[in-house]
Amino acid sequence: MSADDAAFLASLAPPGRSPYHRLNPLTKAVLASVESLGAFLIGGYLGPIAILALVVASAAVAGIAGRLVRISLLLTLPIAISVVLVSVFTRAGTHILFSIGPFDATSEGVDFAGQTLVRLLAISTSIGLFGLTTDPRSFVLDLERRGLSSRFAFVALATLEAVPAMVERAGVIQAAQRARGLDTEGSVRARLRGVLPLVGPVILSSLTEVEERSLALEVRAFGRPGRRHLLWRIPDSSSQLALRAALLFLLLVAIISRLAGIFPSLP
Amino acid sequence: MAATWVRALVALVAFVVVLVVGINVVGAIDLTKDPNTGVPVGFNTIVTILAIGLIVALVVYLATEYAQTRRFDSITSQFDTRTIVLIPIAIAINIILGQTVSAALKIPVYLDSIGTILVGVLAGPIAGAVTGGLANLIWTYILPAPFQSPYAAPFFIVAVEIGLLAGIFGRLGFFRSRPDTPPARLAIGAAVVALIVAIIGIYGFLPFYTNAETNVFQLLFFAQPAEGVPAPAPVFVILGWLVALLLIGAVVGLIALLAIRRDLGAAYVFVAGLVCGIVSALISFPISSVVFGGVTGSGTDLLVAAFQKAGDDLGTAVLKQGLLSDPIDKTVTYFVVFAILGALSRRFIARFPQGESAIGLAEA
Repeated sequence: MSADDAAFLASLAPPGRSPYHRLNPLTKAVLASVESLGAFLIGGYLGPIAILALVVASAAVAGIAGRLVRISLLLTLPIAISVVLVSVFTRAGTHILFSIGPFDATSEGVDFAGQTLVRLLAISTSIGLFGLTTDPRSFVLDLERRGLSSRFAFVALATLEAVPAMVERAGVIQAAQRARGLDTEGSVRARLRGVLPLVGPVILSSLTEVEERSLALEVRAFGRPGRRHLLWRIPDSSSQLALRAALLFLLLVAIISRLAGIFPSLP
Repeated sequence: MAATWVRALVALVAFVVVLVVGINVVGAIDLTKDPNTGVPVGFNTIVTILAIGLIVALVVYLATEYAQTRRFDSITSQFDTRTIVLIPIAIAINIILGQTVSAALKIPVYLDSIGTILVGVLAGPIAGAVTGGLANLIWTYILPAPFQSPYAAPFFIVAVEIGLLAGIFGRLGFFRSRPDTPPARLAIGAAVVALIVAIIGIYGFLPFYTNAETNVFQLLFFAQPAEGVPAPAPVFVILGWLVALLLIGAVVGLIALLAIRRDLGAAYVFVAGLVCGIVSALISFPISSVVFGGVTGSGTDLLVAAFQKAGDDLGTAVLKQGLLSDPIDKTVTYFVVFAILGALSRRFIARFPQGESAIGLAEA
């Protein structure tokens, strides 16, 4: 193993900054999924708020509570404004709190908006915590060791590279088009006219690259049958396995009781 | 070729059998609406039966194929190296355009499925479905913060449907360019499209938008509202005229396009995009209203607010909004993909698993 390989492996599983960072990526992914699905399945206020508290507490353990709350508030803000405006002012209801012009704010609308907001916050914080504490590459490679097809692993990892690469390509093409006199900072009309000379070359040049890349992969035996054997593993433990099984079991029970209509309706 | 049709037929029969058995076992489906979200209570049951039917159909198809050929070529052939390399780039196109367009323009066009549709057309329905599903999962779980969106994963099933449909339309040749079509056939094509739009408009849209307060369509198409029905609110009169203008404008635009480019392919793409948009709206409205309270944070939320203000419950309001904006979005997206396919070299396209049948090189 060369020095480069050793450095790569070390970067995949760095000595975690906190116990939460050190959890196996799959455990963190299951936690995030069960928390966000749970917030949705339980409904009401108490369930999502309890989950929100749990997630923020986990984030505090990981030492990133402030950052997590900031990021998820930022992600939720545009949709939250819509939820509040649409539900509070237009949802049908009998208890009118106050009126602005033709729009009556109803207590039913406020109630519905409140429930939706706590649910959305629970979803965005639990997913956000996963994103902030997990290196996506280690998650994908861990899944591959557990049996995910190497082709899907390639797709996931290549997307990770492709998105920033395409943003960069768009920047280069924009600079090139401006050098040819394209107006990208003028009025709205001028900018709209600039969209096509920008988007067209970005998409077409990215697609043309498929040719070179697939040839490069083929000569490196990408299409050979059989499994890849990975020489390393991300630490996992039997207690984490038990935790994942318990969480998934709870989720299954919640889904089935919800479908059967025997799930208790919490406030 | 005959073997393929046998497989498809067997799968179709299995699907119908599951539907019939499922509906009989379940009995009457509860269509009363949930008071909170406005989505019919029986919707879970319907979706479960449909999902089981689709899975059974797929399994039966594969079992028949295995019995015939001892291999699963119909799936594995859709995932050659070239397709595997195309998928990440397609997902990146989805994410980047989806984020910039919906955030920047605030119009009811999202353009977040160009890549999915491209893969579906070039590589096949299964590859398209996988691309759509992976795109939404990666958007939520794999991408780091500036690009990550926690709200993509719930719409995973819609993305799968979009890729699947695009693959089927691609295989049926809907994306073929048909240059220099004789004027007579162009006229027939335009008439057929206008007829399809009219049928969808009258039978698909009118029933949804005619209730006591939003009965603009009665006003528009049947001169006067019936006795005793109050006149619609002015905002819906304007909305109704806008929709009518939009439909007429779309058909006129398409006819102009047919006349100028003399390419009948545009008519096929238009119809395919319309169908895809309607199916997407039907699948996404329960997700949107149950998980997100019916809003997306974009300009279309105004429509939801307007319909809800007029007395619709949330589910109906979201469905009406979706049936207006999704067909526009998907038709535009289909035309973008059609343009991209036209700009790519034929040699490049022909090397993808479904490339030849998608753009019609097989007969050339």
